Amino acid sequence: MEHNKPYALNLGLSIFILLAALTGVEYLIAATVASAFLLVVIALTKAGLVLYYYMHIHRLNKSDPEADRHSYAYKTGSNRFGLWLFLLSDSFVFGGLLVTRFGLLGNTRPDLNQALGLAVTTVLLVSSFFMNRAETSMEYGDRKGFLLGTSITILLGLGFLAGVVGLEWPLAIREGLTPSSGPAGAVFFMLTGMHAFHVFTGIVFLVIVFRNGLRGVYSAEKHWAVEAAAVYWHFVDVVWIFFYPALYLIGVHL
Amino acid sequence: MKKILSTGLMRGLFFQILGTLAGAGFVTLVRFGMGLKFWGWDKTTYGFTEPAWVFGGLIGVLSFLYGTRVLDDWLKWAAGKETHEEHHDPPGWIRFFGPSLDHKVIGIQYTVTSLILLSVGGLFALIFRAELAASGLQFLNPDLYNTLMSLHGIVMIVSILLGIAGVMNYLVPMMIGAADMTFPRLNAFSFWIAVPAAVLLLSSLALGGFDTGWTGYPPLSARAPLGMQMFFLGVFVAGWSSILGALNLLATVLRLRAKGMTAFRMPIFVWAAVATSIISLTATQLIGLSFQLVMFQRLFGMGFFDPAKGGNPIIFQHLFWFYSHPAVYVFVLPGLGIISELLPVFARKPLFGYKWVAMSSLGIALVGFLVWAHHMFTSGMNEYLRVPFMYSTLLVAVPTGVKFFSWVATLWGGKIETPTPMMFILAGLVVFLLGGLSGPPNATVSTDLHLHDTYFIVGHFHDTMFGGYVFPFFAAIYYWFPKATGKKLNEKLGHWHFWLMTSGMLVLTLWMMRVGLLGMRRRIADYDPALGFDPSHLIMTIAAFAIALSVLIFFVNVYLSLRKGDAATGNVWNSRSPEWQVPSPMPAHNYEKEFRVVGEPYDYGLPGSTYVQFED
Repeated sequence: MEHNKPYALNLGLSIFILLAALTGVEYLIAATVASAFLLVVIALTKAGLVLYYYMHIHRLNKSDPEADRHSYAYKTGSNRFGLWLFLLSDSFVFGGLLVTRFGLLGNTRPDLNQALGLAVTTVLLVSSFFMNRAETSMEYGDRKGFLLGTSITILLGLGFLAGVVGLEWPLAIREGLTPSSGPAGAVFFMLTGMHAFHVFTGIVFLVIVFRNGLRGVYSAEKHWAVEAAAVYWHFVDVVWIFFYPALYLIGVHL
Repeated sequence: MKKILSTGLMRGLFFQILGTLAGAGFVTLVRFGMGLKFWGWDKTTYGFTEPAWVFGGLIGVLSFLYGTRVLDDWLKWAAGKETHEEHHDPPGWIRFFGPSLDHKVIGIQYTVTSLILLSVGGLFALIFRAELAASGLQFLNPDLYNTLMSLHGIVMIVSILLGIAGVMNYLVPMMIGAADMTFPRLNAFSFWIAVPAAVLLLSSLALGGFDTGWTGYPPLSARAPLGMQMFFLGVFVAGWSSILGALNLLATVLRLRAKGMTAFRMPIFVWAAVATSIISLTATQLIGLSFQLVMFQRLFGMGFFDPAKGGNPIIFQHLFWFYSHPAVYVFVLPGLGIISELLPVFARKPLFGYKWVAMSSLGIALVGFLVWAHHMFTSGMNEYLRVPFMYSTLLVAVPTGVKFFSWVATLWGGKIETPTPMMFILAGLVVFLLGGLSGPPNATVSTDLHLHDTYFIVGHFHDTMFGGYVFPFFAAIYYWFPKATGKKLNEKLGHWHFWLMTSGMLVLTLWMMRVGLLGMRRRIADYDPALGFDPSHLIMTIAAFAIALSVLIFFVNVYLSLRKGDAATGNVWNSRSPEWQVPSPMPAHNYEKEFRVVGEPYDYGLPGSTYVQFED
């Protein structure tokens, strides 16, 4: 480990504060100058922060070609490549959805409940913070911290799903924005639905990891599944970093 | 018999049927409970309703995977259990019918499935080709014609995807000196998910078919019969096979190369496989997404592509072609890699411009991402997009030209030997040139507006597919058959296969281009006898049957050679590639001793040069 545990936990906290501040700025920009350009710049900044500090993309660089190929460390390196290739592939789905959204709706957006949108965004962001804590704890062999962080993440994930599927969807339908009402409804339900599906799979993944963690399967040296679940969870958060402005902030509402 | 019934394949198919019925039954019950229509017979309701069939189809695929037991190890991991690293297959042919983790077994599974689908797709072509042999409708109705034509397209595409996956799976770990792929379980999963996908695609025949062609454009596909949904679902599932296979291959090449095998000392086929996999990994998601959007439009009335609701069908075409154009490079790049791989062996000369050829594969892959809208010149998309896409398309000729010059320069002054694989390579080169040269007229807006809906296009892409895939694919089978089986394919039957196929396909595609230039439109079941195309179509039909006969000869050849072919366990072709330095067939986990790369891969004819050195 390059750092000690308190340092790693504090780093996670600072990144979280930065992300939260940027989200607030985003919301203010949308409410005042409504500049799509600025919103895109902020989304890219947030995504960059998550990719580097929470998903530690730099670990892909950490490889030793002459190492023992049957070792756990070498295999984890290969697994990491596999996971990132999968995320690259998956991001094309979300990219395609964004293309569909801007192709069909252009500079307009569906009329959605802003307070609820900000609330679910916050819930997901906080869950990312606890995910990071859980993973960092496991890296230093702190099983208790890991279990606590993971269970909070799972609860927040369920909260996000409840907010989007349980509150936002019925609310939108009541206000006449249904899947079949037109492109705006189709885009809204498709984007949030596809994202919610990924959140759901992420929760399933976390539940499996939590259960195995409870039974002591992971250690400070061997916890690839924990890292994978965490990186996947942060990826789902990165997707929302782009979907939130695309659905709630950019453009004139209909 | 009992042995066959208990194989992974049979269990999977049994589970797929059960799963489909269970899924469809579940939706039917829910609809019954909600007071919706839940049973009936019409264009989109075959007993079960459309949502029931779609959900059932999805559950059927998952059940298939569970039934074959490819998910077993992952389920064990999820339960916190350890699994074995080493894999052992039962001896004999039975291992090909169950979930093996050996990349060589999976490679053969892919290749054989690909050949089966090739025959099915070819059979569909023969049926509607026979219908077209004379004007007037002989024995097909327009709906069935459309379905067969559409299925011919998609079955051939899936066959090609499985074919290249087979060749890449079999060869790449061997060529780079790896014991297996990086993720053997994912490898097995990628193959086995393609089987229920093929079942779904073919099931569309029984569920009303579909009349859109393999492109599935809305708005037509939004109101096609139920078969359309099975087609969409089948392609979506097959797409996952392609994506995960590509992921595995990239991870393997990145992580498991032999010592000393730097990027520019990899066999050239590996470069082609990497370029192909970059496209499959990323772009495939877009065809899956575009088809999903149409599925949801049909199921939930989501108006993405429905102009009546304010949707836009052109968006579909952009999403669709963003995959489906690069897909043709997925089809041909491995084939072109095989050409570059085998030419030096049979010309006994170094490959001319190795680095340029390696880079040209990547170049084609990257430029391939920027050309998709050339399929849409006549679609009504924004006109300002036409010229940029025309130029980006013409740019593809540059890296492709690099390959051609390398091939010609490699052949130049070589001591050329012509066993069957080399004959297929040379024919592939010529046919791909024909396909390539007939490309620019389609890429150029002014001429494409005239050619777009004609047989000229049909001739063009059949030439590129035959030259870029079919000929190199058969060359690869003739070349590596001894590696896989320890037997050599019969040369005489190979020659028959070659001459029949080459002459048949040249006549077929050149005649297609000819009638296309004269105004024969594509995708139609019938044509006006006054156009005078009857004799041309008869000639094309005969040529198509000649190609089918040649493939039949190939199957006979495989059967006879397996039973009593000449034993060939050594370095049959006098190759420098590492897999030929050890006896055939290779055991599980490939090499008994590791090797180190000490020289250039294609220094044929240079005395004293070595490529690999086995460690003691």
